[in-house]
Amino acid sequence: MSLDLNQATSEDIRERAAIDRSVRWPVLFFFTSAAAWLAVATLLGAVSGLKLSLPRLWESCPAMNYGRLFPMHMIALVYGWAMQAGLGVMIWLMARLTRNELKNSVTIIVAGHIWNFGVSIAMLAVWFGFGRSMPWLDFPAWIAPILFVGYLMTTLWLVPMFKARRAGEVYISEMFLLGAAVWFPWIFATSVLLVGDDGSAVMSAGTNGWYMANLIFLWFVPIGLASAYYLIPKIAGRPVYSYPLAKIGFWSLIILAPWTGFNRFIGGPFPAWIPAISGAATILLLVSVLATAINFWKTVKGDSKAKLWENSPTLRFTMFGALMFVMYGVLGALSSYFSFSKVLQFSHFVIGLDTLAVYGVFSMMIFGAIYYIVPRVTGCEWPSGKMIRTHFWFSTYGIGTVVLTMLLGGFAQAGQMNQWDSSFILSVEVGNRWVVGRIIAWLLITFSNLGFFYQLALMFFGRGRRTAGATLMPESAH
Amino acid sequence: MSDTQEKNLDYEAEGGSVVDVHDAVRREKILPPTGQEPVSFSPIIATIIVIILGAGYFGAYGNFFRDDIYISSFYQPEPRPAGIGGDEGGDKGPWIDQWLAGGKRVYGQCAACHQPNGGGLPGQYPPLTGSEWVHGGTERLGAILLHGIQGPLTVAGQSYGTIPMPPWNALSDEQIAQVITYVRSEFGEMKDDPKAIVTTEMIGAARDKFSGKAGSWTESELLDIPADAMLPGAEVDPQTGQPVGGGEDAAAQ
Repeated sequence: MSLDLNQATSEDIRERAAIDRSVRWPVLFFFTSAAAWLAVATLLGAVSGLKLSLPRLWESCPAMNYGRLFPMHMIALVYGWAMQAGLGVMIWLMARLTRNELKNSVTIIVAGHIWNFGVSIAMLAVWFGFGRSMPWLDFPAWIAPILFVGYLMTTLWLVPMFKARRAGEVYISEMFLLGAAVWFPWIFATSVLLVGDDGSAVMSAGTNGWYMANLIFLWFVPIGLASAYYLIPKIAGRPVYSYPLAKIGFWSLIILAPWTGFNRFIGGPFPAWIPAISGAATILLLVSVLATAINFWKTVKGDSKAKLWENSPTLRFTMFGALMFVMYGVLGALSSYFSFSKVLQFSHFVIGLDTLAVYGVFSMMIFGAIYYIVPRVTGCEWPSGKMIRTHFWFSTYGIGTVVLTMLLGGFAQAGQMNQWDSSFILSVEVGNRWVVGRIIAWLLITFSNLGFFYQLALMFFGRGRRTAGATLMPESAH
Repeated sequence: MSDTQEKNLDYEAEGGSVVDVHDAVRREKILPPTGQEPVSFSPIIATIIVIILGAGYFGAYGNFFRDDIYISSFYQPEPRPAGIGGDEGGDKGPWIDQWLAGGKRVYGQCAACHQPNGGGLPGQYPPLTGSEWVHGGTERLGAILLHGIQGPLTVAGQSYGTIPMPPWNALSDEQIAQVITYVRSEFGEMKDDPKAIVTTEMIGAARDKFSGKAGSWTESELLDIPADAMLPGAEVDPQTGQPVGGGEDAAAQ
């Protein structure tokens, strides 16, 4: 490591080390338990795909039905893995950005246990048949308060941290983090109260769509972007290209995102303007996507000679997540159009799009953050760069396979569904050929994560590499 | 190498000097102050294009926030195969054929969930084919169409989840009558059975009867309606659509 102007002062370094030490256990708790849920989620992804592909399998066992396995897969992926890992990143990032040591690590670890308890109960409830067919809110409503309490006990501490920040301009990541922290209680409470057996039946389905879109755009995306806005300039050693552009990305996201979601039911039994306004908001969100993409691109572009994105796992995962964010934004805008949605609306494609948001966009950015954070809080380095490379490439192949096969499979399935005189089972059969792609994809992702779990476990027990120097991804073969 | 190793080992020690701090923290660069580049020309142009797209989209599909338009005029459903439904004009044939064709047109809105062939989606949307709710009396069907269903419902021995069936009371009496006739004839295996036919008058009666009903039906409420209860109204002649024989009396059964 050569000395340059970006090198921190010794006071900075000591402060950082103290902050990292203060958040060590809560962050590690969230990361490791999230990783455990990810293992469950990826396996359930493959098994539920298998069940969909071979409907006769385990026919007599209700607990092994697709109708239970798939919601469990999503609960484990969204609440077990994604949100929990996101909470870990939030705590570390907020402590670092505001330069505050965490004083409530015990409360947060307790909160983490409450959250995990809630997720476990939710999984079991769905498994034993107490689920509801509301995607991402499949668990019975009485479990929601457990998750709610776990969440609040964790994120409440971000507010005093933010208030005790150093004077000066609020960094863009702080805005995203604080926003995400307060938006989740709002969208979660609203949806849990409105989705269910009482109240308007149609609006219940609509609210469910709104919840999914908002969990993505107002929680997953802001946290992913907060992490990217911190890590990209840190690693590249270059300032974020433009603060005004970042602010456009932030404000357009938070103003438009709450309008999205109803376009999931475009052409459904709503007054036409409701899905239309959601569709228009999803299209307008491209402003945010574009502003963010340009900003990231211009930040790393000048760095081409160092080829940091080739070697740094963090930068690679984060930039890939940002790329997938653009793809998700474009596909989301496309699916707001009638001509696209009247074909793909109720097909496998929707599942592919949700998977892209949770795994392709958010999880990849979070992997980037984890590869950055864990060495700092544990004091040892990732043991193997090759394993990280495997993790990256097989995750990439996996998410690529999901999106591609679900898009093509969606077209094939919907083509049959939309023919008036075609038998329904034909559309199932045609779609199922592509569901094989989903099984393969989740197996690839499961495989890619094996190395990640192994390394994370080593790091957790302090068995990482003790020598100096970052663990880089060896790409010299290319 | 061993030198560095030693330095890193005492990371845990409190209040160590800088060299004791783990390498990951030590090699870390500072977070550079954010650049203040003004937004350049091309993103502004791109933003304007996106805004035009979004506004145009809402202009086309939004119907100026009107609450009574459910399907935008810009939405063109997939073309139907020739010979089924549609407006053929000319000699329209027997009344029942037109009535069923009208029902088929209305059924286009049901087909999104119940599928064009009435088979439903396993585990999500109950089938109409072979459903006891379809080929029984007409009163239950009328009640369901007017107020919708919420909560679990057992259809043909299978329990269906909680995707609710919305009320379709925004449709006209004639449209509801047509679609029920169509569903009973096509999926209730009652083709050419006069009992399959439901008239506008019958739906009008159902509207009056259930006008006090708040919210959607639950399974137990629906089961309270006798399975063979028919909506009151005159039976009609399938050829002409005119009431037959005893007229009003036939309704009382």
